[in-house]
Amino acid sequence: MQGILKKISQINFGLLSPENIRKMSVTKIVTPDTYDEDGYPIEAGLMDPRLGVIDPGLRCRSCGSKGGDCQGHFGHINLARPVIHVGFADTIHKILRSTCSNCGRVLLTESEIAEYKEKIGTKHQNEESINDIVKEIYTVARRDKCPHCDEDKEEIKIDKPVSIVEGNYKLTSSEVRERLEKVNEDDYILMGINPDVAKPEWMVLTVLPVPPVTVRPSITLETGERSEDDLTHKLVDILRINQRLKENMEAGAPQLIVEDLWELLQYHVTTYFDNEASGVPPARHRSGRPLKTLAQRLKGKEGRFRSNLSGKRVNFSARTVISPDPNISINEVGVPEMIAKEVTVPVYVTDWNMEDMKEHIENGPEIHPGANYVIRPDERKIRVYDETKESILEKLEPGYVVERHLMDGDIVLFNRQPSLHRMSMMAHEVKVLPYKTFRLNLCVCPPYNADFDGDEMNMHVFQTEESRAEAKSLMRVQEHILSPRFGGPIIGGIHDHISGAYLLTREGSEFEEDYVYQMIKKSNLPFPEPKNKPWTGKEVFSLLLPDDLNMVYRAEICRKCDECLRQECKNDAYVVIEDGQLISGAIDEKAFGAFSGKILDSIVKDYGTDKAREFLDSATKLAISGIMKRGFTTSTADEEIPQEAKERIEELLNMAEKRVEQLIEAYHNDELEALPGRSLRETLEMKIMQVLGESRDKSGEIAESYFGMDNHAVIMALTGARGSMLNLTQIAACVGQQSVRGGRIERGYSKRTLPHFKEGELGAKASGFVHSSYKEGLDPLEFFFHAMGGREGLVDTAIRTAQSGYMQRRLVNALQDLSVQTDGTVRDNRGIIIQSKYGEDGVDPAKSDYGKVADIDRMIEEMRIKSKAK
Amino acid sequence: MVQNAWELVDAFFDEYNLVDHHIKSYNDFVDHRIQDIIDIAEPIVLEQGEYSIKTGNLSIKNPFIKEADGSKSDIYPTQARLRNLTYSAHMYLEMSLIKGGEEQEMENVYIGEMPVMLKSKICHLNGLNEAELEADGEDPQDPGGYFIVNGSERAIVTMEEIAPNKIILERIGEKEDRRARAIVTSIKSGFRARINLEYRKPRKKGVFLRISFPYVPGEIPLVVLLRALGLETDKDLVNSISEENDIQFLLIDDIQTSEITNNYDAIKYIGNRVAKGMTEEYRIKRAEDVIDRYLLPHIGVEPDKRTEKATYLAEMAEMLLQVIFDKREPHDKDHYANKRLRVSGDLMEDLFRVAFTSLTRDMTYQLERSLTRGKEPSVKQAVRSDVLTENIKHAIATGNWVGGRAGVSQLLDRTSYMGTLSHLKRVVSPLSRSQPHFEARDLHPTQFGKICPNETPEGPNCGLVKNLAILAKISEGSDSKELEDVIKKMKIVNPI
Repeated sequence: MQGILKKISQINFGLLSPENIRKMSVTKIVTPDTYDEDGYPIEAGLMDPRLGVIDPGLRCRSCGSKGGDCQGHFGHINLARPVIHVGFADTIHKILRSTCSNCGRVLLTESEIAEYKEKIGTKHQNEESINDIVKEIYTVARRDKCPHCDEDKEEIKIDKPVSIVEGNYKLTSSEVRERLEKVNEDDYILMGINPDVAKPEWMVLTVLPVPPVTVRPSITLETGERSEDDLTHKLVDILRINQRLKENMEAGAPQLIVEDLWELLQYHVTTYFDNEASGVPPARHRSGRPLKTLAQRLKGKEGRFRSNLSGKRVNFSARTVISPDPNISINEVGVPEMIAKEVTVPVYVTDWNMEDMKEHIENGPEIHPGANYVIRPDERKIRVYDETKESILEKLEPGYVVERHLMDGDIVLFNRQPSLHRMSMMAHEVKVLPYKTFRLNLCVCPPYNADFDGDEMNMHVFQTEESRAEAKSLMRVQEHILSPRFGGPIIGGIHDHISGAYLLTREGSEFEEDYVYQMIKKSNLPFPEPKNKPWTGKEVFSLLLPDDLNMVYRAEICRKCDECLRQECKNDAYVVIEDGQLISGAIDEKAFGAFSGKILDSIVKDYGTDKAREFLDSATKLAISGIMKRGFTTSTADEEIPQEAKERIEELLNMAEKRVEQLIEAYHNDELEALPGRSLRETLEMKIMQVLGESRDKSGEIAESYFGMDNHAVIMALTGARGSMLNLTQIAACVGQQSVRGGRIERGYSKRTLPHFKEGELGAKASGFVHSSYKEGLDPLEFFFHAMGGREGLVDTAIRTAQSGYMQRRLVNALQDLSVQTDGTVRDNRGIIIQSKYGEDGVDPAKSDYGKVADIDRMIEEMRIKSKAK
Repeated sequence: MVQNAWELVDAFFDEYNLVDHHIKSYNDFVDHRIQDIIDIAEPIVLEQGEYSIKTGNLSIKNPFIKEADGSKSDIYPTQARLRNLTYSAHMYLEMSLIKGGEEQEMENVYIGEMPVMLKSKICHLNGLNEAELEADGEDPQDPGGYFIVNGSERAIVTMEEIAPNKIILERIGEKEDRRARAIVTSIKSGFRARINLEYRKPRKKGVFLRISFPYVPGEIPLVVLLRALGLETDKDLVNSISEENDIQFLLIDDIQTSEITNNYDAIKYIGNRVAKGMTEEYRIKRAEDVIDRYLLPHIGVEPDKRTEKATYLAEMAEMLLQVIFDKREPHDKDHYANKRLRVSGDLMEDLFRVAFTSLTRDMTYQLERSLTRGKEPSVKQAVRSDVLTENIKHAIATGNWVGGRAGVSQLLDRTSYMGTLSHLKRVVSPLSRSQPHFEARDLHPTQFGKICPNETPEGPNCGLVKNLAILAKISEGSDSKELEDVIKKMKIVNPI
């Protein structure tokens, strides 16, 4: 290690004074050329060797360091005439507007000055921003007469980007500088200038700092040609004009020519700072490409801040397509061997792992648990080859670091973009597997929002013990089962896990003991005592539950009957768990599904995350075994309804359409009564929408009444595995009203939607009511209306993703420094309190009961069960 | 009924190709529009009229190629694709030099190459049957309708635009704001002039009805412009706009606010705008020039069309005020009746016009040069055919069209046969994809039968990039003069 470590305690922002610029400069630059014919840099040119070195091997003429170590040194250009800095043009204008050109005082009365100074003083004491006061002063200090010397004030305007105009006279930069010099130092603070670090006249440049060559390295093309950086090009322009201006002035050229050159110098300096300043034609390269100057280097998405400082590229990372693996734990990630051999973990060699490490080195970079590099105690990195193996093995001793391959059990970071919440990056344990995709457990799909239609994910390997330890305790998947978003599990069973668990545990499902043992073995559960008779599904599922678990809840399949029959529920929706035994109720989404799993939620909160992980791993495997025993499939045959049902639906829809006709007739006859706050037309629309909506729901109910719980599509919809009853209704009974922007379809030809209708027709069909079901098929008009409704959805998703991304970015930028302190307050990075109690109630939503501190009703119910069981 | 419909569909495809819109449009371009452009182009005049050049008929030869050894041979599309050549036809134009009023004999001069659309009139594949196509190395199923430039297949996508030469009324803000504007994009041989008439409450004082058109900075009061167009008396002015009282009252307000009362003052007012600080004579001349040439050029650019323009503007103002008074609904911009599609022929027309202008400019330069060198000017030597060829070729090869539009021609999608067909039927809207434009992206009922309701990309281009319906046809448009003559002959309307 070389260099001195220093801790930054404070960063001060100010302006560079001309003296400062000269002081930090190592050389004055006068020649606009860079290299001579022999390719050597010209002294006092833009590539002066004192400005630093880029080529490795050479030594810097200023500091003596080698190329790469020398960070470069500034030079300077003495400008023949002062020039306004574009970045400060607005500030200069504001200052000139608010100060007297005669006496240099700010245009405030003495009393105002005293008052504002005191206000600023208190703000300073409280370490608060004085921006608001300064803003106010700038509006107040716009007087026609100076309160100090009674001088008339002429209006000063700014002609973008850098011209300051007084009345009709354009002030030269020298005059601007003179005026700024005149401004009274006592008034600086009133205009937001800290007199310790800045003087307003420094905003007009007399000396231009020349950045070191390390900032603007020239590149040598393959042809041997040298190509200069855009900044160098711009500096050449500045130097050239500066030189000409100086010569002309010395030769006593006419004022007009001098002014022209001065203007040109101003243009070059302006574009040197910002080549996209409004009102200035951008300086272009010979090819017509606009130059990338200082502001362009920093600004925007590809700028220094967003691209290089907030975001970086890293080593020890991997990316590939993801695919599912139900056999690994939620904590694990399957890593292809190919990746495991490429990304490495540094391991310090000790007496205790010496043999192990030697084995790795023996294996080399090609055989899996091998090693790619060895780092000697003197920090030399040696690649492990067949040839170097021997000598490395010989020299290997404690203190060496071996960069060994990734192995089972290593902790890695796993991430899927967009990283919208903290669960988008979680720590997984590595499981090295064959083939070339990352494998992940299906339960972690919801937090990553991943599917397997070609999604790719990234993996990062920790390089220090500290990071590994931290990640293992804070970022492991099992620590994130509960989402801080709503205080429930975000990791849980999905799709087939849910239907599987339902099929396993629903009333009447029985399994032969030998199959039960197969399921238990597959789910890594301890073997129970044999019963010597068939098991019920509920008994099998109970094996998963902790022995002292007591809970009651209504399952997803609950139909919300008017009067709850509780344990006698005919849908088996009233779940009762007594001392770890599932007494009644079927297991479905409410039990261990992502977003709503109550059992899972209880286990995490009461038994800890280890237990929860075990439960989830076993429960999903058990559910899959359950579904595999029976087999599960769906097709349009599931949405088949008998002729009788079709007739009933047809009748119902016809009735509804007739009802709509009646409403329209009533509307035309002015018999319709307007709802409060709505016009007659709006009332009609609402009523029609209501009638049609109801009719669709009713037709759905009719269709539903013909479906039983032996219908797979219905099982999926009701247990919450996938799809909804609405989807089934639309397939089987009636698609229903299509809407665009919340209303029926109205736009189109004049006074009608399509030429297939009469003018002024308001009927159901003419405004996009789709009478048919998907299964029956839509007629062309219905199809078109359906496409209209569908298009709106497409547009919405397309626009929303872009908008919400930007909104998220702004929110993150605004809130990134806030944190909860040990005293429960939320503070920003300056220690200023944002909330005196986090969330105003101090509740951590991840540890809460769906946002509330505790669900008292549930707790009472549980205790009741517990006491009853005893 | 359902079975019979398929026979209709079959019958449709017996008659029409899937990419008929491209081929017909290109044929029309080749047959008429090139000649029209050449005919109305400004003639080349040198040495204050001492020399001038007269142009005659254009002829286009079917594509052939001059090999390096000087031999000529017909070139077929397959060959062009394989040898990275451009499938283009040579164009010859009759030109003659007029020297001091004395006309020389017409010469047929080679002026450049025109990329040929496959299966168009001037393509070798035109009218071939399947066997013949196969013999020429073509896929008999290939629809044609694209170009081959430097061996790559380029399709010109159809551009959707708001209907030109048509008044579009739109409301600004809510009904209660009482603000509206009427827009006409007037197009005369490639020159687009956008006229914007707005009704808005003036900020301090001033008139309500203001109009803006090209070459006049800012907005001018409508009443002043109408006066300048010859509606001198207040009575004429008001009556020509409307016979309804409330509308007339509004106008009277405007008339009283503007202090200009006669034709001359009005023209002077405009002159002060367009040529500030010039002599009065020049200002008047310039103002009249601007009115004739840049105001509603589709009506005409001659001074005697001013009355017609005044009537048109008066009509426009009445419509606008009716919107303000809620007596008329503003136009639905997304209604397909208010849209026009510019197909390959129209876009090639834009391209050729600019390319031909640069050719004539180059010719002038070449002729001037030979004159200053004391040589006798010769038409054949003055034409550098590369100017025209390269101009057109470059635009099609890169997709950078005249007027700064990019992506007009695209590499033909050959991922699948259907991909190709879909690409040739693509229609793109000029609306920017970064703004929401919810309404423009919606499937509009008037697109029924014209635009495919299903095919549109997901993502930022959703609803802005469309595809023609399979059975949609695009008409080429016809000469407005002919139509006018027919209508006049029928004595339905009285000429104004």
